[in-house]
Amino acid sequence: MSFTENILCAKSHEYLLKNEDDTYTVGLTDYAVEQLGDIVFLELPEVGVEFGKGEVFATVESVKAASEIYMPISGKVVEVNAALVDAPEQLNEDVFENGWLVKIEATGDASEQDDLLEYEDYKEELE
Amino acid sequence: MTKETFLHEKHVQLGAKMVDFAGWHMPVQYTSIIEEHNTVRNAVGLFDVSHMGEVFVSGKDSLDFLQKIVPQDISKLVYEKAVYCQLPNLDGGLIDDLIIYKLGINYYMIICNASRIDEDLNWMVRNSKGFDVKIDNQSHNYSLLAVQGPKADMLLRKMGLDTAQESFTIKAAELCGHKLLVSRTGYTGEDGYEVLVENKFSEELWDKILEFGQEFGIKPIGLGARDTLRLEAALHLYGNDLDENSTPVEAGLSWSIPKDKIADYNGKKVIMEQLLNGGSKKLIGFKMLDKNIARHGYDVYYNGEKVGVVTSGCVSPVLGANIGLAYVKNVKDICTGSVIQVMIREKLHDAEVVKRPFVAKKNKVKI
Repeated sequence: MSFTENILCAKSHEYLLKNEDDTYTVGLTDYAVEQLGDIVFLELPEVGVEFGKGEVFATVESVKAASEIYMPISGKVVEVNAALVDAPEQLNEDVFENGWLVKIEATGDASEQDDLLEYEDYKEELE
Repeated sequence: MTKETFLHEKHVQLGAKMVDFAGWHMPVQYTSIIEEHNTVRNAVGLFDVSHMGEVFVSGKDSLDFLQKIVPQDISKLVYEKAVYCQLPNLDGGLIDDLIIYKLGINYYMIICNASRIDEDLNWMVRNSKGFDVKIDNQSHNYSLLAVQGPKADMLLRKMGLDTAQESFTIKAAELCGHKLLVSRTGYTGEDGYEVLVENKFSEELWDKILEFGQEFGIKPIGLGARDTLRLEAALHLYGNDLDENSTPVEAGLSWSIPKDKIADYNGKKVIMEQLLNGGSKKLIGFKMLDKNIARHGYDVYYNGEKVGVVTSGCVSPVLGANIGLAYVKNVKDICTGSVIQVMIREKLHDAEVVKRPFVAKKNKVKI
């Protein structure tokens, strides 16, 4: 089962993956990372902080510029990928296994996912 | 309309990520900015910088005209030599920075920033009244290729170019029957060359340099790495670190200004006064003390007071630290070793004022 089959993507280039324990993993899409180029800095929120859908929860910087990362759905942060903060260049290798950003508990309505796209549709939208 | 250099097709074929820069569609990176950066520091890189402007000045009053428009002493510039100059307005503010080359008797070439060609030309034409001088913008006829890095010299020799020339020297050369101007200058802090060629031969030259460069580990380099390379060397970027509200003294360019130039020039009164007493602000180099990156436009604080603004900032691949340039109030307290703060996403982050350049330059070559 491939990872991309199970994710939903926001047009602002974040992905959302539902985990077995009903939490969600949030990360940047491979397309976003490729566009950014060499990632050199990552700022993630603290565990326990809540964000609304569309709110900035993290910042990623490539050599060129700083970019904000938005919550694809409302949620409370339950885990952050601290190892990635120490080695943000890993994002250029993989956006999922070692390159995920945060895990959240959804705090909003399921309808918040209505405007998220399946990976294939997201890719198509970019073209 | 966005302009394209004669090498545009080459960049697209090489898979470059293209961006708009100063009205030109230019490659920002081919593979990775950091990889490209390290290639130039350790081996050799090839840049298309054809967007830059070339203006030729000729006529019997050429020298007097140039003496009026730049603070540098062009009377001391000898045949085949080049000098880094600025183009100040009447208040000493910088219209552009440029390199002037002496190509012959009453014959000079000016290489200027792509984003400033129109302003420079207007200014030069306005200042040429009463001088017997011809100002000839040839920017659209020439391509400029930069070959930069410790192996640049070996590469050009391998290509059969006789490069026995010091830094800031320009020589006419020939390759496969095409006329070139080969200048030992650059914008990376490394040894290297900038090669001027007629547009129609630019693709041939590009291919040849890449072909001969293979054994030296050559890579094409985009504007992204050009920016990180020049910032490590603390070379200024017009529009970021230089503008019409900053004088060469404020911009930290006093080293380039002769104190004994007799001829009058635009902005001389302000510039000479500032050489003695300093300007109202000064350009400093800083290194972030945490992992945050200061970017152009971020505010700078000292002892809780806003004292200036970041003009350039990036990660330094060589130092593994984040560096930048900023204009701050010209006060003695802010000096090498001082700790300043940069406001990044509404939080203050410490940075240390350090000496420039951030990475030692290796571009001074004597023969």
